[in-house]
Amino acid sequence: MTATLDRPAPAPSGAPAPKPIGAAESAWRRMLSGSWVGITVATVLLFALSPVIAPGSLGTAPLLSMLPFASVLAIVAAGQTLVVQQRGLDLSVPGMIALAAVLSTGLPQNYGWPLWAAVIAGIVGPGIVGLVNGVLVTFFRVMPLVVTLGMNAVLLGTVFFIADGTPSGATAELNGFALDRTLGIPNTLLIAIVIVVIAGLVTQRSIIGRRLTAVGVSERAAAALGVRVNAYQMFAYAFAGLCYGAGGVLLAGYTKTPALFLGDSYLLPSVAAVVLGGTALTGGIASVVSTGIAALFLTQLGQLLRSVGWQDALQLIAQSVVLIAVVLVRELVPAFLRRRASRRQSAE
Amino acid sequence: MTNSDIYDVALATQPEPAGPSGPARFGPAVLRLDGIVKTFPGVRALTDVTLEVLSGEVHALVGENGAGKSTLMAVASGALAPNEGTVEIGGTVLASASPEAARELGLGIVRQDPALLPDLTVAENMAVGVGYKRVGGLGRAVAWSQKQLDPWQMGIDAKTRVADLSVEQRFIVEIAKALALEPRVLILDEPTEHLSLEEVQKLFRTVRSLAAGGTAIVYISHRIPEVKQIADRITVLRDGQVRGTFEASEVDEQQIVERVIGRKLETVFPEKGGVSGAIGAADQLAVRSLSGDEFHDISFAVKAGEIVGLAGVQGNGQAALIRSLAGLEPTTGTIEVAGRALSNGSNAAAAGAGVVYVPADRHGEGVFLPLSVGDNISSKTLSQVSTAGLVSERRVLAVAAEQIKRLAIKTPSARTPIQSLSGGNQQKAVLARTLLSEPTVLLAEEPTQGVDAGARVDIYRILRDAADAGAAVVILSSDGVELEGLCDRVLIMSRGSVVQELTGDEVSEAAIARAALTSTTVRARTDADTSARGVKLRRFLRGDQSPAAVLGAIFLVLGIVVAATNPAYLGAFNINNLLFMAAPLLFVGAAQQVVVLGSGFDLSVGPLMGLLVVLASYWIVDGGNLYVGVALMVAGAIGTGVINGFLVTRFAINPVVVTLAMYMALQGIYLTLRSTPGGIIFGDVADQIQARVGIVPVVTILAVAVLLFLEFALRRTRWGVELRGVGSRVDAAARLGIKVKRTRFFSYVLCSFLVLPAAVIMMAQIGIGDGRPSLSYTLSSVTVVVLAGASIFGGRGSFIGILAAAFLVQQVLNVSPFLGLSQAWSYWLPGLITLAAAVLYAQLRRSRRRRRAAAPIAQVPPAPTSPARTSSAQNGSAA
Repeated sequence: MTATLDRPAPAPSGAPAPKPIGAAESAWRRMLSGSWVGITVATVLLFALSPVIAPGSLGTAPLLSMLPFASVLAIVAAGQTLVVQQRGLDLSVPGMIALAAVLSTGLPQNYGWPLWAAVIAGIVGPGIVGLVNGVLVTFFRVMPLVVTLGMNAVLLGTVFFIADGTPSGATAELNGFALDRTLGIPNTLLIAIVIVVIAGLVTQRSIIGRRLTAVGVSERAAAALGVRVNAYQMFAYAFAGLCYGAGGVLLAGYTKTPALFLGDSYLLPSVAAVVLGGTALTGGIASVVSTGIAALFLTQLGQLLRSVGWQDALQLIAQSVVLIAVVLVRELVPAFLRRRASRRQSAE
Repeated sequence: MTNSDIYDVALATQPEPAGPSGPARFGPAVLRLDGIVKTFPGVRALTDVTLEVLSGEVHALVGENGAGKSTLMAVASGALAPNEGTVEIGGTVLASASPEAARELGLGIVRQDPALLPDLTVAENMAVGVGYKRVGGLGRAVAWSQKQLDPWQMGIDAKTRVADLSVEQRFIVEIAKALALEPRVLILDEPTEHLSLEEVQKLFRTVRSLAAGGTAIVYISHRIPEVKQIADRITVLRDGQVRGTFEASEVDEQQIVERVIGRKLETVFPEKGGVSGAIGAADQLAVRSLSGDEFHDISFAVKAGEIVGLAGVQGNGQAALIRSLAGLEPTTGTIEVAGRALSNGSNAAAAGAGVVYVPADRHGEGVFLPLSVGDNISSKTLSQVSTAGLVSERRVLAVAAEQIKRLAIKTPSARTPIQSLSGGNQQKAVLARTLLSEPTVLLAEEPTQGVDAGARVDIYRILRDAADAGAAVVILSSDGVELEGLCDRVLIMSRGSVVQELTGDEVSEAAIARAALTSTTVRARTDADTSARGVKLRRFLRGDQSPAAVLGAIFLVLGIVVAATNPAYLGAFNINNLLFMAAPLLFVGAAQQVVVLGSGFDLSVGPLMGLLVVLASYWIVDGGNLYVGVALMVAGAIGTGVINGFLVTRFAINPVVVTLAMYMALQGIYLTLRSTPGGIIFGDVADQIQARVGIVPVVTILAVAVLLFLEFALRRTRWGVELRGVGSRVDAAARLGIKVKRTRFFSYVLCSFLVLPAAVIMMAQIGIGDGRPSLSYTLSSVTVVVLAGASIFGGRGSFIGILAAAFLVQQVLNVSPFLGLSQAWSYWLPGLITLAAAVLYAQLRRSRRRRRAAAPIAQVPPAPTSPARTSSAQNGSAA
């Protein structure tokens, strides 16, 4: 029997000291949850294996065709990360991207807007929709899933309405900018890096970020601290909307004539990138930077599969399998370690 | 040797502890716990506990909050598996931790937090709780339950939903449920917490007559006078160890109290402000005519350096009051801090004025479990550790190290997640965070709940130090001893008002208990629902079927309006089309409803339809084999459901993620099979599916029949009750012995299986192997469920509602061409309807919750790490 009870009054708490978590276990846990280590190792491995699986897949041309898509996914997934951090899941991503694309291409072509105004509209428009999502989730207490699913349909209707059924083309300037490179680096990648770094800094290092994390971990605990819970959640949804907008505008520019529903193929990858990046779907601790690395991983994986002859339909299956596999590993390994630890503890 | 040791020895020498065999006037031991050890991560909750309860005795188990009483009883009742030791009920060893097995052996338990399913009726709850057989089947449950409840005269109607009962009424349901089992051992866990004096006496009479009949009764309480009144023997538990068993007649209250606390009262509590002269002159906190949902017209003031206690029988508005002071509840009236009025109901304004709140529900509200000790300590004072808005990790750790040392917080490091600390140390971290912000007003609700005796003393010291440093302190506690030792003044609350104020020497445990209990005797049972018609109407409005009636009415009105402008709308073709197109919606809506009732979600219903159609397009074609085609469709549907259900239940993965991945995978599969439409569906088959009786398609009749059958099954079968039970409150369902995982698993399988007929109809309608038109059905299924008014969090809903919602959605889609609406509307309408319905129902539900003031059980989150520390239900109303 332990002699931890009946301590003199001023002594520290009488409960037995919590068992320090084994070093091995904590390393595992860090690798598997909420850290950039796991996904970075996986990404480096993937790039190292790429030339072995498909020779030439790390050449300049394949890389240059992959990076813009990875950039768009990284930007979109940064937004999804913020929503997942607030224990939501944003199913309005396809509609948001489509809205950004149709605004940035359709407004100049059909309504004669100058490009700069159209690009701003393409970014701010989804931001405002995101804010509406946030209002519905916070003030009206509707489940995020229902809000974003319904909002997606509303957005697609709006896209249909604005485009009047036919896609419009991006202006030459926008297309040129999206295709261009600065110092040999694609502009899309530069923009993605800027957005991810800013978002990462704000969400992880700043006071705002700490409060966002607090609200994501526990709304009630954050409210008890005096944090304006609703305001922070609305901020997360609005910021996510801006990210989708930026991603959508870039995608529209890059693809020149964006299909009306070009956003559809970004929903699952955005969720997969968040999960791969180590953000728990139960909210709270999130890493935008890890999500960005995961976006690179997913896009390169897709590129690799395509180069060995997998069609796009098969890619959908591959993405689903990767997503479920990663979630399973995250779920099973800590549980296994816990079981082993508690066996050890009870054996003592 | 410490104080407590002295008392253990001193007390043991005075009265002769009862021997292990017990006095001869009782029968043999019915409940025997032997050498029980139970540990939780970071905490040893029970250490070598041995307890014998004899037939015919009332055996009290006393101890402070967190002493291990509830954990011990959870072990006894099979809800928790001990790490070591055995449980023996009626001479048979409980082989594994199973509440059902314990129940079979004759153990009944009435928990502090009743295991009731809020969305089910009283009768259904009783049927689940005592077993369907004993009740005589669900059909007879209402009459049977009413018979059990009537003797208590609490005005409980067996047909009412538990969520609509008051806290006391729920407790009586829980007691009636336990008594109906005619147990050999009955465990009552803090039974009087919710009851008025009169009800307590009624309960005591029942307990005595049960004991006289030979039942062994375990009576858990921290109210010593009550225990003295009812118990034959008393066992004291402190810090997870038994500190002796005594004949109740041979010990006095003082001795028990000292045993329970482990030391003399004076050594536990710091000097009061009145004695040390720390109380200031001005009112730091002034409350004037403050009213909220659960209290009204409250006025009081607290000076700097003063500690004021709030007491009363639980559920009399104290909790709501203290939360209101923190700006967490909407109020009217004024709250002034240091002379400046706060804006009502704003937590940020309160925090800005220096009001700090230490919540009772530590896991839910006090700490951020997955965050580190350091992050938790700095979470309120981030600006102190930041430069230009950027937080410095180094400074966070430095501040944490200082506080850990100052308050003697036991933690491996400042980086350790706070969830691995014991309750006492978590609470100290909360207090460290509180002190760092130098509060002007400190509000603490049950500050020592679930805290071991050693940490408790530290916490009293910290609270008093905060007062001495100039804070006005308000403490809400259900522990009279604590209030007596700590408070300069105590306000007693009853029915939402302050009924008495105790000051100076009047502040004593006995006086507090007396004031609280006597004031509640005047509490009248207000049964507003007396007129029979009112009851029926209200029950209908609160019931699952009210949305169906509203939707049906909108459906008719819409039809009539459109028909008036365009007579073609009522033509046979259009009506046939409307009814036929509604059929797949009926099925996918019902499918989604099944999972949602069990608080799941299935996004994959749409693409599953597509996959099934594509599979069929290889075999149900001219020259193909119909049976192979049908078999493939059945296999595809069930296979999908099995995979979804397996991943969700076996690995506890978020259902949205599982079914989203499934959504993509199914889409990938059917696109791989047919990237372009192909495979003309055999014409005869398609025609047969589209057969009709008059203008009504056969499949629609079939769909309606299936939904009616599902509705019947939902209300009248065990499957339905258990599905709703799981969706309603999963932890209670598990405690009641419902197989949660199995129920959920089969809800996914049934869901996918219900998609099958929808796919068959779509196949006949499009006539070719193409999956793409199916995608929109995912949103449609959600629209239908949301419209039908199901609580998207599970537990509530009806298939009649689905019926009405599906027809309405199809009606809306059908009228748009008649109104000349563009194609964009085919997206806008379902989206807007979903959002509007969701917002509307969310508001309705919220205002309903408002009216039903104290209804905590629906919102109590299960404590994530250690069940031992699950606090009582009192904090739940916050959510």
